[in-house]
Amino acid sequence: MKIVHKIMWANIINIIFIALVYLFAVQFLELILAKLQFVEIADDLNASFLEMRLSEKNYFLYGDETVLKEIKGKLDESINSITSVQDSIVRAVGDSKYKELRRSVEEYKAAIQQVAANIASATEDTSMQETVRDSGRKLREFSAKIVSLERKKVNDIISHSKKVLFYFFCVAILIAMAATYLFFSKFLRSLKGIEKTATCISQGDFCKVEGTVTGDELGSVMAAINSMSEELDSRYEQIVQSRKLASLGILTAGVAHELGNPLNNIALVAQTYLELADHLSKEDTIDYMRTIEEETHRIEKIVQDLLHFSKPKQPNSKATEVNSVVEKSFKLVHNMLHVSGIDARLNLQEGLPHVFIDEDRIQEVIVNLIINAIEVMSPGGVISLKTYLEEKGDYVVIEVEDTGEGITAEHLPHIFDPFFTTKGVRGTGLGLSVSYGIIKNHKGNMKVESKEGVGTTFFIELPVHRLIA
Amino acid sequence: MNGARIMVVDDEKIVGKMIKASFEQDGYTVETFSDANPALARLEEEKFAVVITDLKMKDIDGMQVLETIKAESPETKVIMITAFASMDAAIEALRKKVDDFFPKPIKIKDLKLCVKDLLSE
Ligand SMILES: Nc1ncnc2c1ncn2[C@@H]1O[C@H](COP(=O)(O)OP(=O)(O)OP(=O)(O)O)[C@@H](O)[C@H]1O
Ligand SMILES: [Mg+2]
Repeated sequence: MKIVHKIMWANIINIIFIALVYLFAVQFLELILAKLQFVEIADDLNASFLEMRLSEKNYFLYGDETVLKEIKGKLDESINSITSVQDSIVRAVGDSKYKELRRSVEEYKAAIQQVAANIASATEDTSMQETVRDSGRKLREFSAKIVSLERKKVNDIISHSKKVLFYFFCVAILIAMAATYLFFSKFLRSLKGIEKTATCISQGDFCKVEGTVTGDELGSVMAAINSMSEELDSRYEQIVQSRKLASLGILTAGVAHELGNPLNNIALVAQTYLELADHLSKEDTIDYMRTIEEETHRIEKIVQDLLHFSKPKQPNSKATEVNSVVEKSFKLVHNMLHVSGIDARLNLQEGLPHVFIDEDRIQEVIVNLIINAIEVMSPGGVISLKTYLEEKGDYVVIEVEDTGEGITAEHLPHIFDPFFTTKGVRGTGLGLSVSYGIIKNHKGNMKVESKEGVGTTFFIELPVHRLIA
Repeated sequence: MNGARIMVVDDEKIVGKMIKASFEQDGYTVETFSDANPALARLEEEKFAVVITDLKMKDIDGMQVLETIKAESPETKVIMITAFASMDAAIEALRKKVDDFFPKPIKIKDLKLCVKDLLSE
């Protein structure tokens, strides 16, 4: 479902709920209103009943006939008003109560009429007086009872609706939370996944967003990120490859110088031979030819080392002696060091256990580190290559130490990030990131220590190769 | 001119060996060194007409040999040879200080002509 639709649905549910609450509240309010209206009417009636009863008392005390007429008038009035608001009375207190009220009024009226019909004897006839008083009292009591009953009901309704509204409130909050969870937990999970992926990509791991790609807008973002990651991955491979060719160029330049010496030697021997051929002894001739042969071997070796470095290789791991790899790497950069006026010190521990490595790739790492070191040192700098066994004996360590400018604390956490470089366009910033990847693939560790103005040391830790007995 | 003393300094021993073989054929006296230090020591004992030195060696620069010779016996001619056939500014500067400059691979005939010219100056 699209996010817009989800939000729409959430809104619709919200509106329906609010409408329900509204209808409920209106109903309660109307009921309360009806009750209050009735209470008002009943109060009026009550008041006029009270008046009638006072008049009735006066009549029996003083026998004033006009009072009787007054009472009768008022009774008719009450009956009229009861009839006219019958509906609201029925609504408020129900049909039976209405009838009872009406009957009480009629009874009282009948009693009063009887008195009026027998005016002569009425003041003496106590039983007649009793009837009037009884029905009067009953009417008063009944109407007073209804009023207080209805008042109580109104209070009940109000406190009841308070409760109900409170429940509604709770339910509303629950619904809101549930809706948020249902609608947005997946959304948030996807966002988290995207965040994680972005972090991975920035660290050079071109992973994909975990979980299924949903059909909503976030799904499109996820799909876009995934295809971006894929694209970056393939571009990255290309850049890594071309960077390697570039560093091969640097190495070749160094190694080409190295070729100069054996070529020169061969040329000199050949020239001398041609010049002195007539005067040379057989031994001398043999010596010359052997020299030429040896020098061609030297050339062959140099060329082979280079080819080895440049060849796109199949992964090829085997139990290897680390020192030989360090020496081979050193040979590749030996001339660069020479030209840059940098001193190299090799301190390789004898008899180290073997490591299970892809020799060419480890060589690539060491060359990367040495080139980095050369790049930060001025003539007179010293680079030390060491190998030794780590204290616990689990790792063979290759150490590459330089006396360069060091790395600032600000840069240190980023040097293994892909594309991090302080060399501007002269660096791709991939050397260390690629090297780190290679060492991690060997289940090893790569660490760095650096002191500004003093130098930097890189540690390559490779797990000792243990033969399963 | 024959019999002139020539010193060759190059850590590639074959260079000294071949130059010596070829030049002695022409009557020169040639001494070869593969390290700069013994060469410098020898220069203090003996005057050489021409010193042929490699630019870069393991211990000491050919530069240093050059400086020492120019300081102690300015009349000695210096020919610099180098495997770095680059147009480095440093090498350019060097061209002015040395009497001649030979990139490897060396042509012995040219080297001989050069030595001859320098000696006849
Ligand atoms: N030995 C070192 N001393 C000081 N800083 C270093 C050293 N090695 C690496 N760095 C810092 O780490 C950054 C990243 O190195 P990395 O090898 O990954 O890329 P780069 O050398 O800049 O580019 P490239 O290797 O592609 O030429 C460098 O730009 C540099 O700032
Ligand atoms: Mg680098």
